[in-house]
Amino acid sequence: MSALLEVSGVSKSFDGFKAIDNLSFTVGEPELRAIIGPNGAGKTTFMDLVTGKTRPDSGSIRYGELSRDLTRMSEAQIARAGIGRKFQKPTVFEDQTVFENLAMALASPRSPWTVLTRRPSMETRAGEVAERVGLTAHMRRRAGVLSHGQKQWLEIGMLLAQEPRLLLVDEPAAGMTSAERERTTEMLVEAAKDHAVVVIEHDMEFVRRLNCRVTVLHEGRSLAEGSLDFVCADPRVIDVYLGRPEAGAEAEAEHA
Amino acid sequence: MTDATASAGRPTRITRGSPADHPSIRRPLIRRPDVLIFLAILALVTIGATVLAQTGHVSTSTVKLLGKTLCLCLAALAMDLVWGYTGILSLGHFAFFGIGGYAIGMWLMWDRTELIVLDTLARNPLPATPLEVQEAIGSQIFGVVGSTEIPWLWAFAGSLPLQLAAAVLVPGIVALIFGWLAFRSRVAGVYLSILTQAGTLALSLWLFQNDSGLRGNNGLSGLQNLPGLDHVPQSTISLWFLWASALALAGAYLLAAWTVAGRFGSVLRGIRDDEARVRFLGYEVEHYKLAIFTGTAMACGIAGALYYPQAGIVNPAEIAPIASIYLAVWVAIGGRGLLYGAVIGAAFVSLLSSWFTGGGAPDIDLGFYEIRWTDWWLVLLGLTFVLVTLFAPKGLGGLVDLWTERRSRRTSDLGPDEGALRAEEERP
Repeated sequence: MSALLEVSGVSKSFDGFKAIDNLSFTVGEPELRAIIGPNGAGKTTFMDLVTGKTRPDSGSIRYGELSRDLTRMSEAQIARAGIGRKFQKPTVFEDQTVFENLAMALASPRSPWTVLTRRPSMETRAGEVAERVGLTAHMRRRAGVLSHGQKQWLEIGMLLAQEPRLLLVDEPAAGMTSAERERTTEMLVEAAKDHAVVVIEHDMEFVRRLNCRVTVLHEGRSLAEGSLDFVCADPRVIDVYLGRPEAGAEAEAEHA
Repeated sequence: MTDATASAGRPTRITRGSPADHPSIRRPLIRRPDVLIFLAILALVTIGATVLAQTGHVSTSTVKLLGKTLCLCLAALAMDLVWGYTGILSLGHFAFFGIGGYAIGMWLMWDRTELIVLDTLARNPLPATPLEVQEAIGSQIFGVVGSTEIPWLWAFAGSLPLQLAAAVLVPGIVALIFGWLAFRSRVAGVYLSILTQAGTLALSLWLFQNDSGLRGNNGLSGLQNLPGLDHVPQSTISLWFLWASALALAGAYLLAAWTVAGRFGSVLRGIRDDEARVRFLGYEVEHYKLAIFTGTAMACGIAGALYYPQAGIVNPAEIAPIASIYLAVWVAIGGRGLLYGAVIGAAFVSLLSSWFTGGGAPDIDLGFYEIRWTDWWLVLLGLTFVLVTLFAPKGLGGLVDLWTERRSRRTSDLGPDEGALRAEEERP
C-alpha cells in the first residue's frame, strides 16, 4: 500500500471562518477509509478541496505516482486524473435514462470533438456497471423516476463507471432502508479491494460495518485516526462528537 | 411476492417501449420518426409551394415569405441547441443572423453596382481606369452617407466565395472570442444573457452610425437582385431561394439531430441541468459550451445569408436586441429542448405575426374601442409567451409529445417504481 493522495498542511477559511485548519491526511491504494465528524467539521470542504471545487489558502494536495499538484488543476482535469466523487444528495441527471447517466460516466475520451464524432457502443460496459449496482432492469427508465436508494446506487454506479483510482463518497447511506444500506456497504467494500475509497459518514452503525480505518475531523483538524474502537475510546472524540450524538445527528440532518 | 414477480417480468416490457425515446438504441438518424416526419413535411411544403407558384396560384411574395420563414426556423433550431439543450440563454444569436446577411449583402450590392457602373462607363469615349471604376462604385454605394471612399470592410466585397465564407466565419469568430471570454470566467445564467444583449446592442448602435462603413441606418438594399441575373424574373429567383433555404434547414435538422443524440447530447443536457456535476465527471464544460455557442452562431450566419436576399434589405434595426429576444420567444413557444418544437415555434409565430401585422386579421370593433391587430399583436404574443411558460413549459412541440406518449404509455414503463430492494428482500 502506497500513498495515493497526500494532503499536507492544508488550510481554507471562508470569511474568517476556518473550515479546514492545517489538515494533513493520507490515503493509500487500495484502502477503505471513513471520515467522521460533527456538523461543520469540514468534511464536505475537504472533498471540495480535493476535487478542485475550492482552492486551499495554503498547503499542498498531491496525487498519484507523479505527485501531481491538484490545487493547480481544474475540476474536470482532476476527475480525468482518476478522482471520482459522489455527492451527499444524489446528483444524477434526472431527465436522462439510467443508461445515459452511466454512458456519460464511463471512462472514455472526454473532448467535445471525440465525443461528437466517435460513438462506440457503450451498451456492454454500461450493462456491467448496472449489474454491479443492481439497476439492470432499470436501464431504460429516466433517472428521475427512480427511488431515492436507486438514485444513490446509480450515482455509485456512475462513480465506478468512471474507473477512478480514488473514490470520494459523501454520505452514501443517507436516507436508505437498512437492506439498501447493507447492499451499499457491500459495494463499497468490494470497490475498496482495488481502489482507494474515502467515505464521509456520520452514521456510526454504517461506519462500523465498513470495518476500516477512521479519521475523526473536528473544526477542520484531524482529531484522531485509527480503528473505530480506537477513536471511540479517545476522550477528545467522546467530548466533541460521541458524547452528544443526538445533537450532532440532528444538526447534520438540518444541514442536509 | 407479487412485487417480485412484477419486477422479474419488467425487463422484457421495458425494452418494448418506444425506441425513439432511447437514443442509445442504435438507429440510423434517417429512420428516426421525428426526423422522417420533419423531412417529409418540409419536402411537401417546398414542392407544394413550387408547384402552386409555377401554376400561378401563389404569389412571389408568398414564396419569399415561406423561404424567409424557413431561414427563421433554421435560426430557431440553432437557438434551441444553445438554449433548449445546453441551457445558455443567448440573447444575441440574431446578431449573428444579421452579420450573415450583411456579409452576403455586401457582395450582392457591390457586384451589382460594379456591373451597372461598368455598363455606364462603357458609353464614355475613353475606357475607364480602375480608379475611376472604384470611385464610381464608391459614390454609388456610399453616396447616401455622404462619402465616396470605400471602407476597408469592403476589401473583399467583390468576391462571392470570400463573402460567403465571411457569412459563416465572422459570426463564428465573434462567437468564439465572446464565448471564450465569457465561459472562461464562468459567466452563466442571467449574467450571460445580459452580456449577449449588451453585445448585440453595441453592434446595432455601431451599425447605425454613418461612418461604420456599412451605410448606417440605410443598411444594404436591393439585395433581391442577383448580379448578372437581371433577365431572370423574381418569381424564379424566389423559388431558388426557397429551395436553398429548405435544403439548409433539412441539413441543419439532420446535423442537430445527430449532435443531440448519443453521449454528446447527454453532456449538453447535463450541462443544462447540473453543470458542476458534468465537471466532476471529467468533461471540460467550457469547451462544450464554446463549441455549441460557436457552431450555432455559424448556423445563424448561414440562415441570415439566405434570408436577406429574400427580404431585399438588411439594416441595423434587424440586429436590434429585440430580434434576439423574439428568437428566444419562438423557441419557448415552440418547445425548448425539442428540435421540431423550435421549428414549429418559429414558423407558427413568425407567420402569424406577419398575418396580424400585415393587416390579415380583421380588426375588432368593440363600439367604444377598436382593436387593431397591428398594435395589439405584440400584446397577444406577450400573453401567449407568459401562458406557455406557465402552463406548457414544453411549448407547442410538447403537444406532439403528449400525443405520442399517450400512445406509448400502454407499452412502456413509466409507473411508480417498487423501491430499490423490494425484489432482493424477497430472496430467501
